[in-house]
Amino acid sequence: MTLVENSSAADRLASVSSGNALELRGVTKMFGALAAISDITLTVRSGERRAVLGSNGAGKTTLFNCVTGDFMPTGGTIRLFGEDVTRFPAYERIRRGLRRTYQISLLFNGLTVADNVYLACRGVSRGRFSFIRPRENDALLTRSDELIEAVNLMPWRDTNVSNLSYGQQRQLEIALALAGAPRMILFDEPAAGLSPTERAELVGILNGLPGHIGYIIIEHDMDVALRVAESVTMMHNGKIFKEGTPEEIENDQEVQELYLGDGHE
Amino acid sequence: MQGFTKRNPVWALLIALVAAVFLWLVFAPWSSGMEDILGRKRVFLNAIFGGVTLGALYFLVASGFTLIFGLMRNVNLAHGSLYLLGGYIGFEVSERTGSWFLAFPVVFVVVGIVGIVLQNQVFRRMEGEELRQTMVTIGLSVVIADLMLWVWGGQSYTIYSPDWLSGPMTLPIVSGISDSGEVIYLRYPAVRMAILFAAIVIGIAMWLVLNRTKLGMLVRAGVDDREMLAASGVRIQYVFLAVFAFGAGLAGMAGIVGGTFQSLSPGEDTRFLLASLVVVIVGGMGSIPGAAIGALIIGLSEQLGLVYAPTYSVVFTFLIMAVVLAFRPQGLLGERQ
Amino acid sequence: MALAEHRKTAPRGLWIERIPGIWWALILFLLTMPAWANGFFLFQVMGWTFILGMIALSLMFLAGYGGMVSLIQMSVAAMAGYMVAIFGVSGVGDISMGLPWWLNIPIAIIVAAIFGTLVGALAVRTEGIYTIMITLAIAAAFFYFTRQNYTVFNGYSGFNLVVPPELFGVDWRQPMPFYYLTLGCAALCYAAVIYVSRAPFGLTLQGVRDNPRRMAALGFNVTAHRIAAYTFASVIASVGGILLVWQNSQIAPGTAGIPAVIDILVIAVVGGIKRPIGPFIGALIYVLLRTFSPDVLLAFGLSGERFKLVIGLGFLAIVFFSPDGVLGLWERWQTRRSRNHDPLTGDPK
Repeated sequence: MTLVENSSAADRLASVSSGNALELRGVTKMFGALAAISDITLTVRSGERRAVLGSNGAGKTTLFNCVTGDFMPTGGTIRLFGEDVTRFPAYERIRRGLRRTYQISLLFNGLTVADNVYLACRGVSRGRFSFIRPRENDALLTRSDELIEAVNLMPWRDTNVSNLSYGQQRQLEIALALAGAPRMILFDEPAAGLSPTERAELVGILNGLPGHIGYIIIEHDMDVALRVAESVTMMHNGKIFKEGTPEEIENDQEVQELYLGDGHE
Repeated sequence: MQGFTKRNPVWALLIALVAAVFLWLVFAPWSSGMEDILGRKRVFLNAIFGGVTLGALYFLVASGFTLIFGLMRNVNLAHGSLYLLGGYIGFEVSERTGSWFLAFPVVFVVVGIVGIVLQNQVFRRMEGEELRQTMVTIGLSVVIADLMLWVWGGQSYTIYSPDWLSGPMTLPIVSGISDSGEVIYLRYPAVRMAILFAAIVIGIAMWLVLNRTKLGMLVRAGVDDREMLAASGVRIQYVFLAVFAFGAGLAGMAGIVGGTFQSLSPGEDTRFLLASLVVVIVGGMGSIPGAAIGALIIGLSEQLGLVYAPTYSVVFTFLIMAVVLAFRPQGLLGERQ
Repeated sequence: MALAEHRKTAPRGLWIERIPGIWWALILFLLTMPAWANGFFLFQVMGWTFILGMIALSLMFLAGYGGMVSLIQMSVAAMAGYMVAIFGVSGVGDISMGLPWWLNIPIAIIVAAIFGTLVGALAVRTEGIYTIMITLAIAAAFFYFTRQNYTVFNGYSGFNLVVPPELFGVDWRQPMPFYYLTLGCAALCYAAVIYVSRAPFGLTLQGVRDNPRRMAALGFNVTAHRIAAYTFASVIASVGGILLVWQNSQIAPGTAGIPAVIDILVIAVVGGIKRPIGPFIGALIYVLLRTFSPDVLLAFGLSGERFKLVIGLGFLAIVFFSPDGVLGLWERWQTRRSRNHDPLTGDPK
């Protein structure tokens, strides 16, 4: 199952620049007088699988929004694969290998599943302004069909997104993030609202991703998070609270008090 | 203001410089050398005062427009029609009763009621459908314009101000030095100064209501986040009604002012709608101080342009708008979305 | 409507075979109209319909596919008309340059497209509802400028005696040739819009309409796509504008005055902005009303001048009861009809 393009280019790049996929230094985001995140410094290596945990309001989604470029940070720098992207608009970051899924699926409700995935593939390749309709054997069409197959949505290929079930929409959300040649994916609570079977499928997809693709996953479901991550960052009140391996975090006294024990939502 | 100065020291310095030069031009007597280059000071002063008083008129019309948009996200393209309607009704009232002052409260109430009916019967049914509401306002403007044409015809109407306001008054500003060395002071139509005074009073009153009263707090909260306000139990429909009625009434009263300064005729509704649009684009949506600054800038540019570069005065106005759109699309005092 | 069929279904026929029967009837009807309609109907009613339809189509493209309601289309059309007059031949000898048609027409389209693109660049960086305001204000600026400028636009009088070139020995301003000319251009623009809507250009535009934030997160430069949409729409409006100046044989500031600008919006909304046929339906209704309502009004004892009132009330009624315009009414009627019939046998329930 070719979940992701045989992107030898991405592979080569990853082996050459065995540097860091993502580097945040002192990143802060203020909303008026409220510091949603302050002085975030973290490093994610290429191919690393990181989980970001924390209670509601800890600043996890704000962090993601700063990394993708939904808004500009008030301070600090963000480096993507060695390049300073702090002032780059979102689309420039995406074209450099960054991808994202959303807590609440952001899909194109007026279009079909096939159109949604096609747009995702088109966004990171050339010919976005093309006036020519794709032919039957178009490479991108084939590619998007492969993606639809990989997330088990082929029977609903020509259905309007508004007619899909919640779980199917979440699957489509993942497919959009896998289009093109992703190098670093940000998953924002991908397991939210999924049934146990769907959750197991999700874990399978995440663990099955090729080694050169790193990801950061925000999750409330500790079960999913600790099974798909090799390192964990815990946030609290907009700051980084603790970092370590899943086992370390699970057994840490302070974390238990704050997150699993008294402070548990 | 201190925040602005801290964040943009260069701009603050520039603005202070321009303001200083401007004040000196107005208050200091001009030497003959200056008059050779800039023309007569009296002409300059007339243009400045004309611009400021025109700005006062634009402010009266545009502030209602910006409030309605800021709170209800409704681009009320029938706003110009409300202006002209107010003017015509004001004309009728002042003709029949002989009182210029009486026209104001009557028009405020009548046009305000029209506003209440529109908001309650029409716009409330399209809550959240901004585009559809705007379309309705366009349809209304076409219908109202034709009805007004039917009733009042195509000729111009002028409203006469009371005798004691007609005629000029003397202002403590030097307009020139006569040959015998005597200082000549500027004489300017009293009614225009009265309107300027009234606009300033109304503007300050609006600012006070918005920033110092409970109702104003509700309106500002609604402009910031309408859903939150409704969710917190406030009967948001009453706030909408109040704002729409007030905005409409104000536009109607502005119609009386326009009928006194200039005249009323078909086409004035479009003209003042466009003026409101430009003022609000330049000043910033939903901001009363923004409407004041925008109105002042547009009024001055129009009058100064008319006096010093008549062929292209209208173009200056739109040039200002284009520059603001290019470099600060949310308007000078607008909030970035 | 899928980009390409799922491989398991039977191979599809030629695209021509997929056009439903009613379209063939319409095409036949339109092609043979000169056989039974008189010159006035062909030139004034149908010619106007196609021209206004094209200009409203450019609005529909931006609004329906792009989610941007722009009021600059009429001004763009007028700009193209002015350029044809200025670069080509007209009654104002001091300004018109007299370039041949194969130069002045492309120049006119390019200049108008640049104008439309610049306006788009100013209008797209703000929230959707602002677009109406900004484009209306710029359209007003265009009107005032053309009225006050005498060196290029000849101010209040504008240009007269602007006629189509005599190609192939045909006087294109005669009713029948003009009818076919406007019909052909309208059909071309319509086909172009339909085709482009499923090409990457059109599909990305619809994505931008539905979810601009997601499009940015998929790697698209949303602002660039919106501006490019204005360019495409401006080309369509320019074609309409050139035909417009030929039909009137003159152009003046009033051609793109605020009433005319609003009329285009009314036409697009009344017809329906979701599908490209809507603007043409709206244009036909508008032209018929405008041509015949003075007589109808007089029959009722009202002044013939009140047709604006009729149009305004009609517009209000449409926006109230069917925001999707006439097309929306049609679609709802279809759905209701199918619900009242047994899906298997087609008999009424």
